[in-house]
Amino acid sequence: MSVTFRLNGQTTRFHDDPMTPLIDVLRREKFLTGAKPVCREGFCGACTVQVDGEAQMACLKPMGLLDGREVTTIEGLGNGREPLHPLQVAFAAADVVQCGMCFPGMVMALSAFVRDHPEADRTAIKTAMVGNICRCTGYERIIDAVVDHLKDGAAPKAELADV
Amino acid sequence: MSDVLSPEASTVMNLPRRDAQDKLRGRTKYTVDRARPDTLHAAVLRSTLAAGRIRKLDVSAVWDCEGVRGVVTGQDAPGLYGIGIADHPLLAVDTIRYHGEPIVAIAADTEALARAALKAIVIEIEPLPAVQTMADALAPEARLIHEDWRSYDLLFEGGARSGNIAWEAKSSRGDVDAAFARPDVKVVESSIGVGRQSHVPLEPRVAIGSWENGRAHLQTSTQVPWTVRNVTGRVMQLPPGHVRVTVPPVGGGFGLKFDASIEPITAVLAKMTGRDVILENTRQEEMATCLCRENAEIVIRSAVTPDGEIVGREAVVLMDAGAYGGEQVFLTTMTSHTLGGNYRVGAIRIVSRAVYTNTPPNGAFRACNGVYNTFALERHTDEICAKMGFDPVEFRKRNVLGDGDLGPTGQVFEDDVLHPMLQRMDALREKTGTVEHLADGRLYGKATTVGTWFVFVGPSAATVNLNADGSATLVTSGVEIGSGTMVQALPQIVAGQLGLDPNQVIVREADTDAAGLDAGVGGGRTTVSIGAASVAACADVREKMLRTAGEMLQTKPEDLVLANGRVEIAGRPGSGTTIPAVVAHAQATTGPISGSGSFTAKNTPAMSGCAAGHFVDALDIPVFVVHEAEVAVDPDTGHVEVLAYRVVQDVGRALNPRAIHSQIQGGVVQGLGYALHEEVTITADGRIAQDSFEAYRVPLAGDVVPVAIDLYEGAPSMGPLGTKGAGEVPILAVGAAIGCAVANAIGKPVDKLPLTPPRVLRLLRGREPKPVYLHIAPSWTQNTLG
Ligand code: FES
Ligand code: FES
Repeated sequence: MSVTFRLNGQTTRFHDDPMTPLIDVLRREKFLTGAKPVCREGFCGACTVQVDGEAQMACLKPMGLLDGREVTTIEGLGNGREPLHPLQVAFAAADVVQCGMCFPGMVMALSAFVRDHPEADRTAIKTAMVGNICRCTGYERIIDAVVDHLKDGAAPKAELADV
Repeated sequence: MSDVLSPEASTVMNLPRRDAQDKLRGRTKYTVDRARPDTLHAAVLRSTLAAGRIRKLDVSAVWDCEGVRGVVTGQDAPGLYGIGIADHPLLAVDTIRYHGEPIVAIAADTEALARAALKAIVIEIEPLPAVQTMADALAPEARLIHEDWRSYDLLFEGGARSGNIAWEAKSSRGDVDAAFARPDVKVVESSIGVGRQSHVPLEPRVAIGSWENGRAHLQTSTQVPWTVRNVTGRVMQLPPGHVRVTVPPVGGGFGLKFDASIEPITAVLAKMTGRDVILENTRQEEMATCLCRENAEIVIRSAVTPDGEIVGREAVVLMDAGAYGGEQVFLTTMTSHTLGGNYRVGAIRIVSRAVYTNTPPNGAFRACNGVYNTFALERHTDEICAKMGFDPVEFRKRNVLGDGDLGPTGQVFEDDVLHPMLQRMDALREKTGTVEHLADGRLYGKATTVGTWFVFVGPSAATVNLNADGSATLVTSGVEIGSGTMVQALPQIVAGQLGLDPNQVIVREADTDAAGLDAGVGGGRTTVSIGAASVAACADVREKMLRTAGEMLQTKPEDLVLANGRVEIAGRPGSGTTIPAVVAHAQATTGPISGSGSFTAKNTPAMSGCAAGHFVDALDIPVFVVHEAEVAVDPDTGHVEVLAYRVVQDVGRALNPRAIHSQIQGGVVQGLGYALHEEVTITADGRIAQDSFEAYRVPLAGDVVPVAIDLYEGAPSMGPLGTKGAGEVPILAVGAAIGCAVANAIGKPVDKLPLTPPRVLRLLRGREPKPVYLHIAPSWTQNTLG
């Protein structure tokens, strides 16, 4: 079976078992190692990418379902003119990163969330984060950074949609 | 001279992490990201029995399988390794000692092919009755898990050993029998039990082995490059110098990666195949063979006078080592220092035993046995208070260790630290307020607890090269495991010493071919030990720099200072010359400027005869914490909600308060997992039952609260600039604070962790059995090997 999809803005073809999970194609064939296969069962969110702008877990996504879809990975977030996504800027500024393994997934999930929920409060952000496990940080400072990001600058939201 | 900053004052604070941007963009290459198209993939055959004897093992058919490039068995790596005792083979040879034990490893072109080839292995194992619990292991006629225990190499002297008792450490100070016999005392006894905790780093244990010019090269996700080097040398029977270990950024360790485990397998396969070989634990393997924080059983007894003086204390602690001794052998040492810590005690004796069982081996986990010993000690303290009518906070203020008090091994503590920290907790509580109203009809409880831990010092080495562009390169065996030490504290310290901006300090990732010996990243030691070695290296560099500059400026070196990237004449800002000019002059005249420094433990004395079998007789750098929790318990479901959490932590000196706050938030949340959700159980066939994210419940965003933090500075420390490690201890007293708060909420003693809803319900309904340890003798002495 052959699947044609867009990966970070470029047309790509895949010919192999349609049940192959997207995460393996990203990491083993495209050498995009930002998404992490931590549990491979849909529990941790470390493999999160966006498919047509929606956060999806790449470990659960069979290649066969991606025909005609647009896949954005952490490597493709930000459009080149902008070196870091504003949420990444907020995380860096608040010094919230520790080992960093969860962050590619966290950024892909939360960047979609803040785009769709610009008015989200702390409780809504916490709820949105339950699909992303972080073993290092204890979450609260990540949540603070998202709150700050939403507070101070609605500006970037428009661009996010088109990445 | 007031305009000249001392190195301390000029150390930059709150330096942001230099690795954050790459980590946020997914560009950081952890070991797990470094497989190349031509890298072979390894898979491991693991035992599905907890105990047995290998009767037949034939791997010849494996070679006929598609894509197979190499296959190794225990015969290919016959050396034994361990901590304290060399009892651990890399791959099982004749005896199976736990479910999940590796037996054969195969390297093939892909992981799928390697796994498929496992099926071609012919193996027959005769089952043996498994010794699953410490009670079974200590039974008089128990089967020996290591029949040849007497023949093992001892890597450290002094511990008593016998049969299934892998190691025994004991301490004894004063006449405990006399204290308990006093007519005026009341004797209070507590029995406590805890299960295992799994680390769940997001990057599992993974290594890439290569064979280069007759030597092994391992790239691996480890906290201890030198241990991996030495263990690989031991099992392959190579001189350790024939092994090179380099360490990419580590995706979480928490102590799990404080020992060698799968790394040498890749070296053996690389040697056989001549190719690079990656071995990555699947999540199932990672959790089923996790070197967990061990399960433990504790009996503690104290003699207390009516006015609240603790005149005698004795305790027995059994620690489940699992199938091999590992870290538990070392950690028997830490029982005395934690269960015997916190309080001033008249006479005290403690015995701690690491016990072999046919279960997956345990290991080190952030603050290790300190976490449950603190839980036990603090619950015991609250039981003393409840039985004798003392206010728990006042009792603690009266009895915490202070200046000149003796520890369990007779070490003399310096300065009052815990008492002022308890007062600071009062002030913090005053500031944040308490939140009983949030309990909203549920059972409310609050508790204040204290904890004692240490900084694991030990050897470190550092080299600093000063470059002609005015930058400096720091070369150590340090590893960035996420705590930020390598990207924050160390460049901050070196920059402060050399008058540079921290961004001018390049920090080299660990490479055992480039840097000197190091005990590893863990035990809160990196800032202290590598920091101190770095300060020493900088002193060497400063001296050379000032000598050269003195020559250039015709000024005595002692009249010169380093500041803002310049060598200036003291008191005359802007005078002198730039560091690049000095380096260039030195390079042309005396040679490039570099310096080296080293550090090790100062070996604080214990009282002679107090400690036996201890790897550390006294704490060089004690670290103290005060934790306070407020909880609400739902009486219908048993669910515990943490309403508020406060920490006062002894940090010596906070070089990067923001980074320390992050460590505290993260460490407390891991502790909440231990206290409330994270349960590891062993199945009837000897497996760890919780071997997936579905079965093992780590804290999620919805479970946590922001921790209110006060950093206590100024306690004595031999660390550079007065620092202490701050990343390890935040987890220390969480089980204690939550356990005590829940006990207060439900009005019943809490003797076990974790406090999952079913357990809390059983406690509320009086159906939770009290821990009873028939294999712990009533007389303390009978629990020792004499
Ligand atoms: S790896 Fe996909 S959710 Fe965990
Ligand atoms: S930073 Fe380590 S898992 Fe989130």
